[in-house]
Amino acid sequence: MFRQKVFMFGYSQERLFLAKELGYKLMGFSIIVNDEKAYQKAISDGYRSVKLLDVMDDTALEELPVKDNDYLICVMDDHYLNVFLTLSLHELFPKAIVVALSDSPHTTQKLKMAGASKIIDLYQVSANRIHNILHKPVATKLVERLLSSDEDFSFKEMLIPKGSSLDGVMVDDFDFTCHGIILVGMIDKRLSNQFIFITSGLENRFDVGDTIVCIGYNADLEKFEDYIKQ
Amino acid sequence: MLKNWIIKFAFFLHGSLTYKNIKQLFSNFLNNPDYEYKKYFDVFMISLIIVSITILVYEVKHKVPYWMDFFDIYIVTIIFTMEYLARLWVYNDWHSLVVKEYGESQFLNRKFSLWKPTKIALNGKVEYLFSPTAIIDLLAILPAYRPLRVLRIFVLFRVFKLLRYTKSINQFLSVLSSKKFELFTLLFLLLFITITAGIAIYVFEQNQNKEIKSLFDAIYWALITISTVGYGDISPITPEGRVVSMVIIVTGIAMISFVTSVIVSAFSEKLTELKENRIIEEINKNEEFMIICGYGQMTRMFLKYYAPEYNRRYIVLENDKEKVEEAIKEGYQAIHDDASRHDVIAKFNTDYAKITLLALTGSDIANIYITLNAKALSRKIRVITRASTDKIAKKCKLAGADSVVMPTLIANRMLFSAITQPVMYKAIYAILTGQHLAQLDEVNLIYHRKLVGKKLNELNFKEHKLLCIGLQVGISGEFIFNPPMRLHLREEDILLIMGRKMSIEHFKMLYKEIKYV
Repeated sequence: MFRQKVFMFGYSQERLFLAKELGYKLMGFSIIVNDEKAYQKAISDGYRSVKLLDVMDDTALEELPVKDNDYLICVMDDHYLNVFLTLSLHELFPKAIVVALSDSPHTTQKLKMAGASKIIDLYQVSANRIHNILHKPVATKLVERLLSSDEDFSFKEMLIPKGSSLDGVMVDDFDFTCHGIILVGMIDKRLSNQFIFITSGLENRFDVGDTIVCIGYNADLEKFEDYIKQ
Repeated sequence: MLKNWIIKFAFFLHGSLTYKNIKQLFSNFLNNPDYEYKKYFDVFMISLIIVSITILVYEVKHKVPYWMDFFDIYIVTIIFTMEYLARLWVYNDWHSLVVKEYGESQFLNRKFSLWKPTKIALNGKVEYLFSPTAIIDLLAILPAYRPLRVLRIFVLFRVFKLLRYTKSINQFLSVLSSKKFELFTLLFLLLFITITAGIAIYVFEQNQNKEIKSLFDAIYWALITISTVGYGDISPITPEGRVVSMVIIVTGIAMISFVTSVIVSAFSEKLTELKENRIIEEINKNEEFMIICGYGQMTRMFLKYYAPEYNRRYIVLENDKEKVEEAIKEGYQAIHDDASRHDVIAKFNTDYAKITLLALTGSDIANIYITLNAKALSRKIRVITRASTDKIAKKCKLAGADSVVMPTLIANRMLFSAITQPVMYKAIYAILTGQHLAQLDEVNLIYHRKLVGKKLNELNFKEHKLLCIGLQVGISGEFIFNPPMRLHLREEDILLIMGRKMSIEHFKMLYKEIKYV
């Protein structure tokens, strides 16, 4: 269950889909806007937690009920304002996770310096996709399926619970393919909190508290999640 | 009876694929600048012309050996005659006109007239015969007729034949023709002043100057003076004659400056266009290239990462001149043109080259229009279009786009993953941005023939530090996720693997073997 709250700063036409998906999936989802028109639009779209405030005013931002590890998504249309907001939020809530959208390598660099934990470069991802369509059509189709919420095929991250049959098993010794899924990578708590790709060549062991990421059909992934709980 | 045979013959030609292909081949060699082998034909013809002129010049002071004369009279002339006739042949299609006229007369129940299509075809041929280039071609053949030695001078027309094969001379002439009005005005002015001055000097000096015996001498003097050449063989001796001289010298200087400025301005106006045409010609020489429409943030990003990979086999078409200059400054190949115009895309070698067009302008409407424009020109052009919403994406697909890229959708999905599945996000981001630590790549068995017939478990993916994600099976295109390891690989299969960039490259290198057809 997703426990953190998510605050999305900005509500433009391009972000309607994201707001819809997040609002549908998460309980603690709020939209913060700084103009009346966007506020009215969000309300009319059925969002209950919508706030209209001056995002340049730190006092107003401070009043937001942001806790440690909560997500703050900066998707303002004005990229200058987006960088400014990232900086303000990082200063006010240093333990929150700031995710920002960028439109150029220069903005990405500025957002990084402003303290964003995750930055998505709109055009870098798109440029890469064009290249992939041209040179890796099969791979592109697969990634598309993985990312689409309508498909029965996806990525899934799973936490190894206490008493799991996977506890103490070496990665190389376990056959995932017979469960119809593929292990892509994991966070091995013993080593670090970093995500390690299974193809990195390190010898890892599954332990309680580790997170594994697998790809497969949703039904197989669900079955496997139940299996590791046993 | 004869008419029936002619109609049958016309239908036979119309339906014959061999005849069509042969005619097309000739047409490509003679007239199609995009045809890849045309350059060899052009070089051959240029060589013949140069050899022929060299023989003419050599002949002035030396006795030409028999074989050289034979080569010039027969071989060169026969080739030129064949070329002349071939050009006449490919200029238009008589049989198509006959078939069309016959079809129409049958449909309208009207009497079929063979003369009507024949007349149209003949008019076309005559039109060609009287075109300047065809006249030059004909005059270039005449020197072979030796009884009339005067015809030898027509060898010089072989020099004019070079016009057909050298683009720079053609471009020079086309630049001059763009200033036709100004140049003709100046020419008439020159003629007027020369004749007036000639008559004046004739009137003033005919009885006093022994060098001026006729009006022709006077006009000759006027032309030599106005052109500022001044040989000095004729010079005025009366004060009136000297006044005329002074006037036409001043006029001559002014006219020469004027002509120079007209030509220079014509060149400066056309320079960008000429340069851009050269870029297009260079691009068209490739078997495969990319046309990128619009120089916005997405194009910049694409070129930043992938321009070296395309090694100048791409061209950016941008409407905004400032953006074009910016692109050129950044080292990219860009021209100022509107990709939504039919004639702009038609400049590219759509018949022979494999073209990918990226419609990446900031406007959805422009992108859809560009897509339609490209697809209307040739269905073979592969189009990838940028769209801002899924409604626009549907329209792009309807317009014929092969793939649609929606930056906002991808970004939204990434943001969604970053929040809801943060661990997984890293994997997806690495795969989507093609980072070195994990890439999803394809191994196409057409280029890795050593894999054909091997079982998947023989490939030791684990040892290569790779993951076998899936397999696209041959022509059927069926995709098997997590394929069973007992599967045998076959020709045209595509293997989907994941791993570090270096692991993938090493694996591909091991099994690389291309099938040459």
